[in-house]
Order: sequence, then structure tokens, then C-alpha cells
Amino acid sequence: MNRFTLAAAAALMAGAGSAQATNFEFWYGNTGNVEVAIKAQCEAFNGAQSQHKVNCVGQGSYEVAMQKAIAAYRAKNHPVLIQFFDAGTLDLMLSDAVEPVQDLMPDVKWDNFIAGTRAYYETSGGKLFAQPYNSSTLLFYTNKTELEKAGVTQTPTSWEEIIEAARKLKAAGHACPFVTDGDTWRVLEQFSARHGLPIATKHNGYDGLDAEYVINTTFAAKHLANLVDWRKEGLVRLAADTKAGNYTAAFNAGECAMMEQSSGSYAAAAKAFEGKYELTVNMAPMYKSYERHNTFVGGASIYVMKGHSKDEIEAAKAFLDFLRRPEQQMFFTAATGYVPVTTDVLDAIAKSDEANSPKYATAKVGVESMNQPATPDTRGIRLGFYVQFREVFMEETQKAFAGQQTMQVALDNTKKRGDQLLRRFEQTYKGKQLP
Amino acid sequence: MSLESSLFSHRWLPLLLAVPLMSLIVLFFYVPVFQAFYWSFFLEQPFGGGSQFVGLQNFERVLSDPEFWMSGWRTIVFMMTASSLAVVVPLMLAVAADRKIGMSLPARNILVWPKGIAGASIGVVFAFIFNPFVGIMAPLNTMFPGLWNPGIDGTDAFITLVAAHVWSGIPFNFVILLAGLRSIPHTMYQAAAMDGAGPWRRIFDVQLPLILPQLFLTFVLEFTESITSVFALIDTITEGGPGGSTTLLVYKIYVDGFSGYDLSGASTQTVLLMIFVVLLAACQFVFLGRRINYER
Repeated sequence: MNRFTLAAAAALMAGAGSAQATNFEFWYGNTGNVEVAIKAQCEAFNGAQSQHKVNCVGQGSYEVAMQKAIAAYRAKNHPVLIQFFDAGTLDLMLSDAVEPVQDLMPDVKWDNFIAGTRAYYETSGGKLFAQPYNSSTLLFYTNKTELEKAGVTQTPTSWEEIIEAARKLKAAGHACPFVTDGDTWRVLEQFSARHGLPIATKHNGYDGLDAEYVINTTFAAKHLANLVDWRKEGLVRLAADTKAGNYTAAFNAGECAMMEQSSGSYAAAAKAFEGKYELTVNMAPMYKSYERHNTFVGGASIYVMKGHSKDEIEAAKAFLDFLRRPEQQMFFTAATGYVPVTTDVLDAIAKSDEANSPKYATAKVGVESMNQPATPDTRGIRLGFYVQFREVFMEETQKAFAGQQTMQVALDNTKKRGDQLLRRFEQTYKGKQLP
Repeated sequence: MSLESSLFSHRWLPLLLAVPLMSLIVLFFYVPVFQAFYWSFFLEQPFGGGSQFVGLQNFERVLSDPEFWMSGWRTIVFMMTASSLAVVVPLMLAVAADRKIGMSLPARNILVWPKGIAGASIGVVFAFIFNPFVGIMAPLNTMFPGLWNPGIDGTDAFITLVAAHVWSGIPFNFVILLAGLRSIPHTMYQAAAMDGAGPWRRIFDVQLPLILPQLFLTFVLEFTESITSVFALIDTITEGGPGGSTTLLVYKIYVDGFSGYDLSGASTQTVLLMIFVVLLAACQFVFLGRRINYER
């Protein structure tokens, strides 16, 4: 390639960039059928108008997307829009790398967002930081066909009933009555929220950076110890105990009869069960002596990153507007099992001809779960370096499941190591206030 | 000096020719190393936007963290078991392939093939081979349920990792050691045999002493490389679990830095690991290297 063609190519590229359509990037972390749905939305946006063009880039997972965003931001090469997951919320709020969506778009009716999703992503002043996107919550899935085979006709709703059903399944020769991966989000966060238990002091960090973990003293500790005992009894299986090696796959293949999983898994499970088993989804189980509170919103939301031109921001706003549209949300819910994020969409679904269609099954139960009575401890989790805390929790509890230490010791260690993370976070962001 | 200047009469040409490589080394080695040293004295915000000098506080934090010492200990255990085996197994294979036994010629060829496989691919394959339900241990598991499960039992996971590492280390070490063995003159064996030395005696008294330089090379490379090259295997087979039982230092640095956004802590551990590797290599040269006679 000689100098002239190089120059010509450069001129062409510069020209293309400044032509009518404003190009901007959107990074996301999902894979599988969720990624297919995201891509479809991107194409729909590009097809619906010619003013802006979104380029949607999949990063493989939430964690990787965040790692790359950090590197890209430091190199001033970051996208305009990026999807971040729930656990990174506080890290992003204090990062000074994102612009709160409510500041950028003050005219949007943000009150329209269902309370459960708002609480997780809003500032202490009630301002939304990010636009909730693929929102999920924890639900309880059962393989009704297998349960009925073992003589369980009523779908269990409490842990007491689950264990009773699991004993029946085991007696009937079932190898895997209930399966979990012991993930922090499932067994600790969502459990604590719906039982109204705090995870850390200062209302899970909402009232200050000097919070401390309390997970080793709440009823969650008892539940986790129960899981260890139930696993020994053969009622509960971990992902590594299953043939599939992955608990969702084990459930979807019919190897395991019950699981707690995100509503975002519904579409995949329904497809796998088609013609073979009957699927039920309900709110996640409670201990009978506890009153039900809301579950946290999971999944991810979209942040607008700082340092972009006005045109790009305008284009990004148009895309965010597009994603909020009821028909887009309904499409996304039907395609994935994630729940709608605004109340008007729930109404739209209720009024549509397909209100009782299985593709909207999670929308109703998921939103109902997030709309249960809230307490200051069930707004969300606002703790620093929380992603690393999740790793610590997994590491320590896995040791407990393997019998190397008791669950209480595991949780005591988790609290100790978690508090060290919080103190370091406090020091890293010295002088900064929670927004 | 005279030899070099007679080869390259031009004064700047040799330097110029070395510039591309040198700049790559500076860019991809010295700059990151410097950055790691720099960050280890600061508390760095993940997205930039502010860092504060904290002196030796990061080192205090890391050195008083039992998790750091645990992963350091695992690194040493791995180095001792996996690296030793990764030299001893190829040595046995090389000695066998060097002898005129059946299949030794094709073996010399086939044993080199795994060299072409990336660590991550080896990891994926071994995760499957050692899968408790479909892998080679599956029959044992049906006889004794729960005997083997790397997803639950930390020791099993560690063994899987060692096996994968040894296997991936075979080709390179095999080539080096076989080349050493092939270069030993045949007359030496014949003389030893004439004096009544049996096959074992010939291995220990003739072959091993004469391939000491090759053995030393493979040991040095193995010991220093095992510390970092195991990353791909951990990431694909165990992801550091279960319960952190396969979180070696190099993986802990990755998790802390990239999943935990603890850039300062990860940098501090990188510095400590780097110092350890340099000291290790230095010790090997001081204590072992001197005893080796390169002349024949």
C-alpha cells in the first residue's frame, strides 16, 4: 500500500465518521438467547431511523465487560453506553466515569420505573444513576412432572415444603431433588432481602461508606448451614455434584427437579422442557416463620459514560428512549424472561391478547416479587468492591460445603475479609460522599 | 570487543537493527514492570480519577494477609510437584526413546506434538478427561461414589492441574533431554558395558552426568515458568476453586486486579512474585549452575 492509498483510506474513514449518521458503541455482557435479543434490539433501532447508528459489542460476561470498560476508560477509548451488572453499582457511582441518566434526561418519567428496580440504582436523593435494562429477580423453578412422579402434587412454596418434597423425591430414587450453585446472589443476597435481613450495617451501605458485614449473625447463616446439612442428606446438590456440571443445565436436562434461578433463565428452561416436562415458576421460597419482603433486582442496567461529544450523547439518549418503549420491553421480556422495568409495560401486557401466554410468565411473578413490602435493608446493596466480596463468599462457603470448615467459620471469615475490602474501599475513595 | 567491531564496522547499524526488538521489550515488559512498582506504593481508583501515595501500606496489607501466604504456599507446592514431574517424566521418556527399542523412532516424533497446543486448550481437554461423570475416573466413581470430584475436593482439583501441567511440559523438555542424550558418543556406553555396567548403572553413571547441562536448563525453565504458565490451566480447569484450593499466586493476582478492581494490591503482589522468581533463578544458578561442567 503506498502513501497515496493510505491517505485516501484515512480521508475516507474520516469522512464516513462525520457523515450524517452518528455512530456510537454499546457494550454488553450477556451471551446465548439474551445476546440474540439484544442484537435484535440494536438492529431494530438502526432500522427504525437513520439519524443514529448503534454498534453493539458483546464482551462475553458482565465481569469481562467491566474489566474492559475500566481499561478502555483509562485509555480514553471507552464506549458511550455500557451495561453494568448490579454488583458494580457503588464502584461506578464513585468512579466519576459515568453521567447519571436522570441528569442527562430530566424529562423522562422516571417514576414510571417499578420501585424494586429504582431503589437499587438510585442515589440517596432518589435520582436514577443508570437506566435499568435486563432486570431479573430470583424465582423458584420446579419440574412438575418429576415432582408428581414422586407423589408431590402441590408445588412447594416454603423451604419446609421444599425439603419435604426433596425427601419424597429421594425416597423415589431421584438423585438430585434440589440444585444450586451456591452463588452469592442466590443464596445470600436474595435470601436476605426477601427475609428482611440486613447484609451489612448502615442499611447495606446506603447510609455511609463505613458499613460492616453482618451476614454471619443473621438468619442467613442458619439457612446456609442448613444447605450444608441437606447436601449431606442428599436433598440438595451443588453444580459440581451434577452430571451436567452446571446447575441450570442440570435442571433444564431434567437431572434435577427444583432450583432457584434468575427469571432471565426462563426462556431457556421453557424451551428445554418443551414436550418433555411441565415447568412451574413461582416466587423464591421463604421459611414459614418469616414475613415476605421484596427481592432485589438483578441483571444489569445501562450507564452513560463521560467524555463523549454532544452528538454521541444525543444518539445514546435516542437509543435509551428506544429501549424504554413498551413494545421493545415486551419483546425483550418475551424473548428472554427478564422482567419489564416500567409499570406501563405491565399494564400493556395485561391488556394484550397474550396476557396469559407463558412467554410473559416471569413478568408477573417477577415484578410481584420485587414489589413485596420493602424495608430500609431491602433497597439494594451499596457496598464497595462488592464483586470481590462475592468471590470471597464463594471461596469460603465452598470450603464449608467440602467439609473443610463449618459454615459458621466460613461466614465469620467472609465477614472479616469483607470488612477489610470495605475499609480499603473507604480509603481509596477518601473524601468522597455517597451520591 | 574487537570481534564485534570487526563484524559490524558501522557503529550505529547494530543498535538500529536492535531497536524494534528493544522497543517491544521496553513497551511490553519494562513499562508494565515499572507501572506495577509504581502502583504498589499508591492506592489506585479503578477508573483512574485519583490515586494517593500510601508508602508501604500495600505491602503491609498483602504480607499480613493469610490468603496471600496460602496462595504463595500453593505456588511452591505446585512448583515442587508439577515442575519436578514435568522434568522427570520427559527424562524417563527420553531415556527410553534413546534406546533402540521398538517404536522409539515414532515416539521421538509423536511426543513432541503437544507442544503445538495452547495452555487453554489443554485445560479444556483435561477438564473433560478428569470430569467425575464422563472422564477416566468415572468407573472408579461408580464403584466408590464421591471418590473423585475436582469440583468439590480441592486435592482432586490440584492433582488435575498437576497432571495437565506435566503433560503440557513433556514435549519441550523431552526434545531438550533427548538431544542431550543423542549427543553422548556411543563409545561411552560400549566402554561402560565392557566394564560390566548394566543398563541402570549406565543411566546413572554415564547418561545423567553427561546431560547435566540439559537437565539444569529444563529445571530452571520449568521452575520459573511453572509459576506463571499455569495461569491458562487454572483459568480453564478450576478457576481457582473449589474453595480457593487452586488459587496460585499468579491467579490470585489476576482475580484481585481484574475481578476485584484492586489494582494496588495486585501490583504489590506482582512485585513480590517478580522478586521471588528472580531470587529463585539466582539461587539455582548460584547453587546448581556452578557444579555443572559444560565441557565434554
